[in-house]
Amino acid sequence: MNPEGFASTFDEHVDNALIWLSDNAAGLFDLFNDLLKALYQAVYTVLEVPPFYAVALLFALLAWRVAGWRFALGTFLALLMCALMGLWPQTMSTLALVLTATSLALLIGIPCGVAAGLSPALNRLCDPAMDLVQTLPPYIYLLPAIALLGYGTGTALVATVIVAVPPVLRLTALGIRMTPKAFLELGNASGTTGWQQFVKIRLPFAMPSIMTGINQSLMMAFGMVVIAGIVGSGGLGEVIYSAIRTLDIARSINAAIAIVILTLILDRLAQSGIRTAEEARHDAH
Amino acid sequence: MNTKNVVETLIDCRGVWKIFGDRAPAAMQAYRERGLTKTQILQEYGCVVGVSNVNLQVRRGEIFCIMGLSGSGKSTLIRLLNRLIVPSSGEILIKGRDIAQLDAAALREVRAKHIGMVFQSVALLPHRTVLENAAFGLEVQGLSKAKRHEVAGRALAKVGLSDWANRYPAELSGGMQQRVGLARAIASDPEVILMDEPFSALDPLIRRQLQDEFRELTKSLGKSAVFITHDLEEAIRIGDRIAIMKDGVIIQEGTAEDIVLNPADDYVVEFVAGISRLHLVKAHSIMQPLAQYSARHPHEDPERLQYAAPESDLDSLINLLIRSGHDAVGVRENGTLLGVISQRDLLRAVQGVRDDESHAQTRTSVEGLV
Repeated sequence: MNPEGFASTFDEHVDNALIWLSDNAAGLFDLFNDLLKALYQAVYTVLEVPPFYAVALLFALLAWRVAGWRFALGTFLALLMCALMGLWPQTMSTLALVLTATSLALLIGIPCGVAAGLSPALNRLCDPAMDLVQTLPPYIYLLPAIALLGYGTGTALVATVIVAVPPVLRLTALGIRMTPKAFLELGNASGTTGWQQFVKIRLPFAMPSIMTGINQSLMMAFGMVVIAGIVGSGGLGEVIYSAIRTLDIARSINAAIAIVILTLILDRLAQSGIRTAEEARHDAH
Repeated sequence: MNTKNVVETLIDCRGVWKIFGDRAPAAMQAYRERGLTKTQILQEYGCVVGVSNVNLQVRRGEIFCIMGLSGSGKSTLIRLLNRLIVPSSGEILIKGRDIAQLDAAALREVRAKHIGMVFQSVALLPHRTVLENAAFGLEVQGLSKAKRHEVAGRALAKVGLSDWANRYPAELSGGMQQRVGLARAIASDPEVILMDEPFSALDPLIRRQLQDEFRELTKSLGKSAVFITHDLEEAIRIGDRIAIMKDGVIIQEGTAEDIVLNPADDYVVEFVAGISRLHLVKAHSIMQPLAQYSARHPHEDPERLQYAAPESDLDSLINLLIRSGHDAVGVRENGTLLGVISQRDLLRAVQGVRDDESHAQTRTSVEGLV
């Protein structure tokens, strides 16, 4: 068989499949797209409606609660800077995208991770799938999404969710799988039901690993949301993309600074939040 | 003693086997049909025999020790008792009920209420307080928080840890952690407690202290226990009866005195060699008959000797001998002189050696007289 002929046949099939999908399931995809957009819009509204200083103050307060006043001051000034650069709406839009995508990724990744952690067979299935998702260049996920959902927020969210799922899924599975054998034995010898075993023994031991997974997924989502600027995600990603196209270097640097600020704040908040949660569990009494 | 006519058997193992490996059922079948040895089972089926044809009974109120080195199958055996490991063959009856016949719910109930377990690794949940750990079994049973904390608090008091109830396991020493493990096991008020080498990781002083406390507590609560150990001295200190395991087989079972005085084979002899006999060996098992003593010491009047009871141990006999100023002590029961123990007998008994020479000598001198 002629290899080029084979390749073009294969391509044809893929194209046909996509066309068939958009022809026959257009309603379904539109509904899905609308749902994603609505979700994003809800989060964005919460962040966009109050004046920028109120939001910055709120973040500073949160930062103070989990990591002390130095970090709180830094957070406030950094967010203020985003506003001064004239990028406040875009910054909030990126934040809304990241939060929405990460929430969806956790909603998928944690339950799947738990299942994979409990079932070695399922884990053997998940592992290569996650390998594939993590080794392919993230741009790839924009293509089928844009074919089915079109230019805009929906596509950006889907691609971001795909990229953000693997870390939390894997680390959840790892945490659940790694329950020390002695404690499983304790559970069995105490007469626990399967559910009690999961909630009282497996989950507490898996918690640190799951938390790390959540943080990593958050960071992956950040990376992808910026790339998704190409498909009209809105927010800082799109600012950078259009600045590059017009060689507006100054503006692209401003947007880059805003992204770094947002990433640092969220990463630090998440990490301190995890630590505070762990300590709270210890000080429960 | 006489009032206990019927001794209730709590755990009854009948011909219990555990073979590990993918082809365990085939290996078990082959053993039944062709009587393969362990080595043959390993060679032909690639399966390891963990426990081999074990029969044992644990009675109400007794502490039953299983002594063996690592790889002897003792840890497997104790896990068969609460079905953490499923046997390849044989029956295990808990209070007369075959646990293999129980459905999942009934098995959970037996584990939760009738058989407690204490682990070598202690396995205290690190994110829970001492009290919450002690209450774990009750929590699993669905008791309300107030109720289970009350009961667990009492269990902690029994092991002397009331003041530590609200601390976390990491704040406790190894010995204290194991006490919490014990409190957790007794909080559910089970009839039998399975102790899987609970004190092996502790330093010697703490270990002895815990051994004594454990024995006292178990006896005062009227519990039974199966106690796994690799230390014969510990088994002797704690156990009412001891089983010695090697390569998955129980090679001897009996009281501490049985095992020390009549080791079943060279393997047991080696273990027994290092054991102090001071508190184990009793007067009645080393005394020489009255006639023999009189024959060797015609000028002594054995009636004038200080005397001890037949159940006195070597330690008290030595004290008696030294205080008396004589070179022998008598053994009396209900006023009757049963026999005499000479200084030489006593020294040989401490060594754990049968005094054949003196027996031979006395025999000849007795024969000479007759």
